[in-house]
Amino acid sequence: MTEPTIGLASIDIVTIFVYLVGIFVLGTFFGRYVQNAGDFFIAGKALPFWAIGFSIVVSDIGAMDFVAVAGATHKDGIAAANFDWIGSMPAMVFAAFVFVPYFWRSGVFTIPEFLGRRYNAGVQIIHATIWACFMLTMLALMMWVAADKLMYTVLGWEQTRTVWLIAFVTGVYTFSGGLSAVVMVDVVQLIVMFVGGLALLTLSMWEVGGWTALRTQIEAMGPQYENHFRLLLPHDTATAFPWTGIVFGLGIVLAIAYMSGNQTVVQRTLGARSEWDAKGGMLLGGFLKSFIPLMVALPGLCAVVLLPDLTDSDSAVPTMIRLLMPPGLRGLMFVALFAALLSSVDSTLNSSTTIFVTDIFGRVKTLFFGKPFNERQALILGRTLTVTFIIAAALLAKTVGQAEGIYIFIQTALSLFQGPTLAILLLGIMWRRATRWGGLAGLVLGVAFCFVLNYTDGLFPSDDPFLFVAWWSFVFALVVTVVVSLLTPPEPEEKIRGLVWDSVVRDEEMQDTLRDRIS
Amino acid sequence: MLREIMTRIFQPVLQPVFHPVNVFLSTDFMDATAKFVTIGFFVGTMVWVGIILREGYVNRGRPSKSIWTDLRIWTVLAMLPHVFVYLYF
Repeated sequence: MTEPTIGLASIDIVTIFVYLVGIFVLGTFFGRYVQNAGDFFIAGKALPFWAIGFSIVVSDIGAMDFVAVAGATHKDGIAAANFDWIGSMPAMVFAAFVFVPYFWRSGVFTIPEFLGRRYNAGVQIIHATIWACFMLTMLALMMWVAADKLMYTVLGWEQTRTVWLIAFVTGVYTFSGGLSAVVMVDVVQLIVMFVGGLALLTLSMWEVGGWTALRTQIEAMGPQYENHFRLLLPHDTATAFPWTGIVFGLGIVLAIAYMSGNQTVVQRTLGARSEWDAKGGMLLGGFLKSFIPLMVALPGLCAVVLLPDLTDSDSAVPTMIRLLMPPGLRGLMFVALFAALLSSVDSTLNSSTTIFVTDIFGRVKTLFFGKPFNERQALILGRTLTVTFIIAAALLAKTVGQAEGIYIFIQTALSLFQGPTLAILLLGIMWRRATRWGGLAGLVLGVAFCFVLNYTDGLFPSDDPFLFVAWWSFVFALVVTVVVSLLTPPEPEEKIRGLVWDSVVRDEEMQDTLRDRIS
Repeated sequence: MLREIMTRIFQPVLQPVFHPVNVFLSTDFMDATAKFVTIGFFVGTMVWVGIILREGYVNRGRPSKSIWTDLRIWTVLAMLPHVFVYLYF
């Protein structure tokens, strides 16, 4: 770890103060529009496409990405940028034209809710619990990483205090304004993040002498850097990014599962004011995400030249900020990183709350008491959980955050259940014959198979084969779901009416029925 | 510990399945196809939205008939830069 230095000038402190107060006021302002659970969880279905697109990007890109993707690029080269290129745009187009219209028209609130209706309560609760645990872990992890790798490295701020500052600011406005506050604050955060990120890129590129100089200098540094400018690495590369894993594991499985099954993404499209806005928001988000590697990955490459003695890749960007940014700009960059962090924390917080209210507590209440929460109960529970989760995440942040290899850890955790989830989601939507037992078997055995692949050495050339694990677990879960479905009785027609893609998208009569159900 | 146990149990069963696949994918021929497959992925997605899907389905709820609200054009404009990026790298 680089020694921390505090380098804030007065102008930096003013910038940070104005930003924090502005975000706080803007976020809490939207509290006045929250009257019921629909306003809190899906913004009263009033979001325009640009707000959705901005919010999807900034929710997805956290301060961790500035640290971890730049670190991965510093270590393995530009192949790490695949996550924001082939790992985003095609999946977002697919989600925009397959999943978004489907979810928008069928009126579901969450992905587990769909799985519960299509398969059974077991699938819903398992899926919701896995996602909720993952999101809460992420919440704690992202707060700690920002506090430790950024604020401590750049400014020397004590980590625990930073965690509680983050928890307070995001907790208050997410509690007050729900999804509307989160999305509108995200719009501002994106602009701030882009300005700060582009400033770092410009200074880094200026310092190394431009693109050609950067490429020439890195390629001259020896054979260990020969792949630093290759996006598609050979299948037998020792890095975590072989091209086969990138195309099949990332492009086809992880990216589509993430963009279609991630509650933070789906929730924004469900809050759109029209289906066109929902689709357009996804496309705009994909386009804006294309610029992220410029701000995140390229500074990591520049660090190869500018910081040749750096041993901890994750410290590349924080160290560059400290060395390259003059007073004034350093405050702006600090704000950009803070914006990236807050937007991810608020989105994760709001979405995990939604899943708990709708799919865990709501489902359990329906099972035991025969009826779901009413609007008022759901709103009160949603706000109570918001406070509970942010406090719990702050308390657990240090413990969770001290795991090594942050970025790989997250991807590995995701790959454990993304493949099986995508398999049952796709079959549930596209194939009428998929049954409840098929879905349950596909999910449970698929996750078990993931676990086996992940902990068995010597199956794949890569040292960290999470992309292959995702692909093969997807294929395995597809096969299991199909086989078990064919061996069990088909679902009754009345159960799957309005839940299979064909009837939702093409059957006009069914669409009228669904519209009535939603309204 | 867990990894050792899992490897001892499952490696003899799974390696014969995955090893031939790894050998095939590691050939020079497959490496040469990487760029072709990746760019094909982007182009295929553009063709699917721009040509195969019905206009009414893609643009349902469109606020106006202006060309700038056509999501087929949005898709192509958003994806095209990626094709050039993968060609370059």
